[in-house]
Amino acid sequence: MSSYSDYALQQHFVRHQRWGFRWALWTAVLWGAWYIPGTALWYEYPYNSISPDNQGQRLVATAVMTWIHALAVFVFLAVWNGSLGKLRDYGRTLVRFRKISKWYALASLFGGPMAIFGSYMAMGFVGPVFAAVTSLFYPVVGAVIARLWYQEKISAQAALGMAIIIMGGVVIYGPGFFGELGDDGSYVWLGYLGGILSAIGWGAEGAVASRAMDVTDPDVGIQCRFSFEILFWGLLVLPAVMVLTDQPVWFLLKETLLTPVAMTWMLLASVCHAFCYTAFYKSFSLIGVSRGEAIGNLYGVFAVIFVALVTLELPEWYFLLGLALTIIGSFVMFREPAEAVAQLRSVTETPGAG
Amino acid sequence: MKLHHKGYMLVLLERKQLAWDDVLIGEAMQEYQLSGRYWLNHFRIILDELASAGLISREDHRLDNRTDRLIFQYALSGFGRQRMQDTGLL
Repeated sequence: MSSYSDYALQQHFVRHQRWGFRWALWTAVLWGAWYIPGTALWYEYPYNSISPDNQGQRLVATAVMTWIHALAVFVFLAVWNGSLGKLRDYGRTLVRFRKISKWYALASLFGGPMAIFGSYMAMGFVGPVFAAVTSLFYPVVGAVIARLWYQEKISAQAALGMAIIIMGGVVIYGPGFFGELGDDGSYVWLGYLGGILSAIGWGAEGAVASRAMDVTDPDVGIQCRFSFEILFWGLLVLPAVMVLTDQPVWFLLKETLLTPVAMTWMLLASVCHAFCYTAFYKSFSLIGVSRGEAIGNLYGVFAVIFVALVTLELPEWYFLLGLALTIIGSFVMFREPAEAVAQLRSVTETPGAG
Repeated sequence: MKLHHKGYMLVLLERKQLAWDDVLIGEAMQEYQLSGRYWLNHFRIILDELASAGLISREDHRLDNRTDRLIFQYALSGFGRQRMQDTGLL
């Protein structure tokens, strides 16, 4: 009986681990898919009417885009949580700002303005491939913060898997990366700064959100995070831009909302991101920030695959090498004993401590 | 306003010191007036997540012959108590 019970326990941990990796993999698929509508949006009116040299207006357009995107994500998450019967729990969590939901507010600052803006700066001042490569390092940032801040356990096997996945990503984007580094310009340092900001932003977001998620529900947590992002852009950044500059914020908002094609891409991007983030946060509570972010890093592979499907252009040969490395890295992580993943933190257990 | 579900489970376990999951889940479902397999699993996942995060510890487990399901006995860990204090649950 005892051995059967122990077998059942082992199976319980295996299921737990598999669900965690399954959610993390969904993160990667949907994040990769997000690049298609996210990029297509720039080719639609009103965004295609902005000159590539007009960096100020492009930054404002990004802010407008990000705010509408956050609003749409919020709506999809409300539908999701409504169908799960968790809307009341969302309210109960959001109101505990001073002690709990403030961490989601901080996560939204790291994930929204810092990471997205950083990524945009890297794209604008160095190049998109550079931006993609620097973002690939965000799991390292997340893992280091999670390790130092709340003692998340990262085994040698998990660290090795993470390193192989990152290496795979670098192989996929590497040749383009070195081409872009050759470009020279007086503002190129802004791009490097942006790349660092995006890696720190996305890495820190996971670690900070996990701090609140250990006492809250991940589905609810992600909706809290987007609630704060909406407030941040809508009550702080965009009004400040409207008051302090003569940038056409209102015009961009109105034209985006009134252009059906732009809104179609926007909604597609938002639905991808809503469920990508939901899966992302759910994976953190099951397999930890470091593993969740490392598997989430497979977005690089899926982005290339989705782009190839849409453009009907085969990726370069080195994509296959990078793909092989990322798959090997994922398997190295997945082969970690399920029992090790069932307890994510190095904490002293004091049963019934009083 | 009632506590959010995960917070309530921590408070309940802190009060009981040591409890089997079916007892905890039964009380939580009664508190929030919920019923059915979906909510049963929802609260099970909450306990699983709390155990993963190290806030509660699995003290014992056994097979429930009636439901053919593995059930766990949980206790609040020292880290869990600390997190409850940090987040205003204690």
